[in-house]
Amino acid sequence: MKANRVLTVAERVLRQLAHDRRVLVYMLLIPGVAMILFGYSFSGDITGIRTAFIDEDNTDLTASILENLEKDDAFRVTVLPPGEDPEQLLLKGGYQAVIRIPDKFTSLYYAHFAMGVATTAQGTIDLCVDESDPQIASTVAMGLADAIMDLGEGGPVNIETRELYGVEVRFIDSFAPAIMGLVVSLVSTVLTVLSIVREKVDGTFSRVWVSPVRRSEFILGYVVAFGLIALVQSIVVLSIGKLVFDIVINGSIVWAFVSVILFAVGSVGLGTLLSALARTESQAIVSFPLVVLPSVLLSGMMWPIQAIPAVLRPLSYIVPLTYSNRLLRAVMVKGLAPWEEPVGLAGVLVFVVLTIVLASLVLRQSAQEAG
Amino acid sequence: MADAAFEGRTLVKVFGELRAVGGITVAVQRGEIYGLVGPSGAGKTTLIRMLCGLTTPTSGEARLLGHLMPKERRAVEDRFGYMPQERAVYRDLSVGENLLFFGRIYGMSRPAVARRTRELLTLMRLADRAKQLSAHLSGGEKQRLSLACTLIHEPDALLLDEPTIGLDPALRLEFWDHFRTLAATGRTLLVSTHYVHEAERCGRVGLVQRGRLAAEGAPPDLKAWASTASGGPVSDMEDVFLILCRSEGGLR
Repeated sequence: MKANRVLTVAERVLRQLAHDRRVLVYMLLIPGVAMILFGYSFSGDITGIRTAFIDEDNTDLTASILENLEKDDAFRVTVLPPGEDPEQLLLKGGYQAVIRIPDKFTSLYYAHFAMGVATTAQGTIDLCVDESDPQIASTVAMGLADAIMDLGEGGPVNIETRELYGVEVRFIDSFAPAIMGLVVSLVSTVLTVLSIVREKVDGTFSRVWVSPVRRSEFILGYVVAFGLIALVQSIVVLSIGKLVFDIVINGSIVWAFVSVILFAVGSVGLGTLLSALARTESQAIVSFPLVVLPSVLLSGMMWPIQAIPAVLRPLSYIVPLTYSNRLLRAVMVKGLAPWEEPVGLAGVLVFVVLTIVLASLVLRQSAQEAG
Repeated sequence: MADAAFEGRTLVKVFGELRAVGGITVAVQRGEIYGLVGPSGAGKTTLIRMLCGLTTPTSGEARLLGHLMPKERRAVEDRFGYMPQERAVYRDLSVGENLLFFGRIYGMSRPAVARRTRELLTLMRLADRAKQLSAHLSGGEKQRLSLACTLIHEPDALLLDEPTIGLDPALRLEFWDHFRTLAATGRTLLVSTHYVHEAERCGRVGLVQRGRLAAEGAPPDLKAWASTASGGPVSDMEDVFLILCRSEGGLR
């Protein structure tokens, strides 16, 4: 293998991309747009839930609950007089939640508080929620529970949350590493497929195979080119993540870049494999959902893998982005070195070795078929 | 056959149900221009691809500059040039960048590629197009660039698959002038074409039909054979080809 030929292939791929300004712009825009769109869409903070608060008890305690709810951005509270029908408020009044505190709530609350398990008396709050959106419903339930926990009256259990990583980790903080992996993987895979299929269609593939270029040099040339592109895209994602969303980066940026470039290498291998299935550029393009959908839906990017139905869960473990997510989250959020997340690192390494070896075999077949 | 640049011995290539090449034996001597002439789908491309090691023969033996193909291709990979039937240049690279890439993968230094690029662009009348994207070239210009890419590393032996396809008559003539110049410098050329009259320009011609070499010889010999076979004078290669198509056997 000669480094000179590897670099020549890489230089050619980069020159080709440089000539196609639209592709170049898309390559830089996609990571930024993805980060901004996903970042805002999945920030995880639901705010302004239209909430009616009906206080039939009207005590200092219920006033404190109201105060706590009003401090929570999740709620936009309107205080209504007693006697309103909660169901009608939800169905016709434009409210998403109705919190009604019945008469004698406070005395029952203190009775239970004083006597504990010795009494069945218990303050009860009547909560009616528009369940057509389960996320809203669960946010209201959690917000109300927090408002009561924060009454400052003490309780049987006091939960103290310790921040393992030194700061509160939000959804966006664990989402940014996943976006980095997704964007880099998609761009590397898609451009490799298109580039190799175009080589077959145009006949340049045949010309390259009769030259001294080895299959390994050809693949490595692509790897070098897309590794550089992956680095630039990662910088874009991280910059926007930091500047716009102030994401948490606890770990080493260098290890994060190394991890994402490693994943890009596997994605080039995957692109080469997919190129064997396509004889035309159109066939290549219609195969892209095969890469995108499992990555987005099954990798644990949007929701934990435990939330994926058991019947689909085994597929999650063969989606490469699953391991990239683990690795990048460990490096960026947990502040670990890659080897301290052995499952993620091993998954990405297996992906790299498997796809590159298979890609090399596939290229031999493609060379025979080309032209 | 010791001096043969290209040599095929009972070459057979079968693709599924299709017998693309059905037992061709051919030898092209060094310094010769050998024309492979025949209609589209006759098996010319498959024969060329076997001779340059891109396609493995189903049976038989292909040799290039004495080396068994594709097994020993590495021994001769920088000594031959292959021009595929497609124009086979990178659409999204400029003319100069195409030549730079193909030169560099053959191990040429950047100054050497630059020197050779200047020569070839002048020869192919593309000097003012060096920075032009290949996608924006005319068909004839792309074909000239394709030939330049094949010649960049100064190969001893050339396999040119339909190099003049789609070119206007004047440009085809120009291409054949280039081929003769190359042969005059000791290079061997195996040129396939379905323009039968182009066979006149070759030292020897192999007429390929349905995967077989139906006739082979120097154009005057083929014409003499056709005259005898038809019982009348034969003046051009198109008549030779028509007579051959009608005859059962052919000349070998």
